[in-house]
Amino acid sequence: MTDNKLEKEQKVVKHLEETFQNLTGKVVRERRVTVAVEKELIPSVLSYAKNQLGYIHFSHMSCVDWIEDEHFELVYILWSPEDKVQLLIKTLINRENPEIDNVDMIWRQANTYEREIREMYGIQFKGLVGREEFILEDWEGMPPMRRDFDTAEYIKEAYFGRPGREDAGNVREEIVKRSGEEIPDFAKKYSRD
Amino acid sequence: MREKATTLYLGPQHPGITGNMMIKLKVEGDTVVKAETHVGYLHRGFEKLMERRNWLQSFTIVCRICVPEPDPNELNYSRAVEEIEGREVPERAQWIRTMMMELSRMATYLLWFGGQNGSAGLYTMPQWSVGDRDYILDLFEELTGGRVYHMYIWPGGVRRDLPEGFTDRVLQTMDYLEKRLKQYDELMFANTVFQKRAQGVGWIDPAKAIEWGVVGPPLRAAGFKSDVRIDDPYLKYDELDFEVPTQTSSDVWGRALVRRAEFEQSISMVRQCIEKMPKGEVYNKIPNPMKWTVPAGDAYVKAESARGEFGYYVVSDGSNKPRRVHVKGPAYVHGVTLLENLLVGANIADVSFIMNSLGTCPPEIER
Repeated sequence: MTDNKLEKEQKVVKHLEETFQNLTGKVVRERRVTVAVEKELIPSVLSYAKNQLGYIHFSHMSCVDWIEDEHFELVYILWSPEDKVQLLIKTLINRENPEIDNVDMIWRQANTYEREIREMYGIQFKGLVGREEFILEDWEGMPPMRRDFDTAEYIKEAYFGRPGREDAGNVREEIVKRSGEEIPDFAKKYSRD
Repeated sequence: MREKATTLYLGPQHPGITGNMMIKLKVEGDTVVKAETHVGYLHRGFEKLMERRNWLQSFTIVCRICVPEPDPNELNYSRAVEEIEGREVPERAQWIRTMMMELSRMATYLLWFGGQNGSAGLYTMPQWSVGDRDYILDLFEELTGGRVYHMYIWPGGVRRDLPEGFTDRVLQTMDYLEKRLKQYDELMFANTVFQKRAQGVGWIDPAKAIEWGVVGPPLRAAGFKSDVRIDDPYLKYDELDFEVPTQTSSDVWGRALVRRAEFEQSISMVRQCIEKMPKGEVYNKIPNPMKWTVPAGDAYVKAESARGEFGYYVVSDGSNKPRRVHVKGPAYVHGVTLLENLLVGANIADVSFIMNSLGTCPPEIER
């Protein structure tokens, strides 16, 4: 009974595994399939999924920074309006010198996602034509969505406090100093010092 | 004689649009020959903020991602976490969530009715529909304490049960809005100015619509019976009786008719929810939020928002904070690649009119 229910999903995995080498697929649940491929195969797998398997709708494209394993994970999320299955195609790229093929000739809206990921993670998409800047203007230094980007340090450098509000960093201590009260025990663990 | 092209920077403020984005137009006379969307006025870094907050703290900021329609954010975030965790949601909570989603859809459409007419210079409709939207916001306020941001649908269920007599007030509001729709028809759809402005404007090629990433009302106006509530059912939509209205004109007029018809469906769905809602628990309690960890895994969930497919890709590394929460709003495609394409050949006066018909929402483009 359960097997029958996941028939469409298993068929997609089988199709892709038979067509591409080193591709592993998994049925997550009803209407959700995940496959993992090498980054070199991404354009081929995506265009095969679109043209041969009916995954014509490009739902989403995401990037996850796995800094401890030294790679980025790119996730291409496709939808088949006919089978009504969501296909997540994942690939890993090295964090050192990250580069992957551009796929905006398959879906032109991929261009927007790639421009954002280029800007936020510093991943280069080979052959990506598009305006340099998307959200960030004149950004220099580390792309901000990387895990090792120090948000607190950036705030310190980019913004300045309002005159007369120098105590802003230590509000609780300042209140204590002014009123002469002690910080209650339960609040001490939230204290900055 | 060919006119000399000039560059026109339109925005970042637009009539009827919540949020800011700029469109750089190249115009010849008053015809657009090239359009480029420029965002960056509104980037708040929500996705980065969530990497440094625990799972419940992150929940409190997701609703702020889209101002006119915050509820799909709450719902998607909660559903993604529940899916990774395998947490059950009580039956009654699911019905309340469904009702909330439909109320939120109506509130958004009322705001949109106003925006669409406002961008054509017809200012009576915004006065009426924004006023009527407030009746729905009153219900939200009573239920959740907030008019716009509710933080009501949270992981494990909903924050509290319906107050006494609440469903009666919802039903009364539905009766009122149903009556009002007839007046809207006269003011908006029977209005020759609106008809002339909307018909044949902003045409999307139906043959390319799915491939170009068109979703929601614009896709249904191109003739596709495509709706996440049917295609990838969530909550209690598979137990509700409703239709997916479509049109074939694929222009601003068609999109307006689709939204108008969906409004009626939503009224009927809210009534059905109240009728079918069982009694019982509304919240499957999460552990202490400071210590709450979600097992490693990922989930892509999507819901049908008033503008179309609204997706959340959530990744957990097993810790007490999300590894990645990536939001995909329909405007990410509608407001950038699609809009840039549709505007070519349009009149300058139609630019914000077309933008509105696609449901462009800049806050969800840059989050």
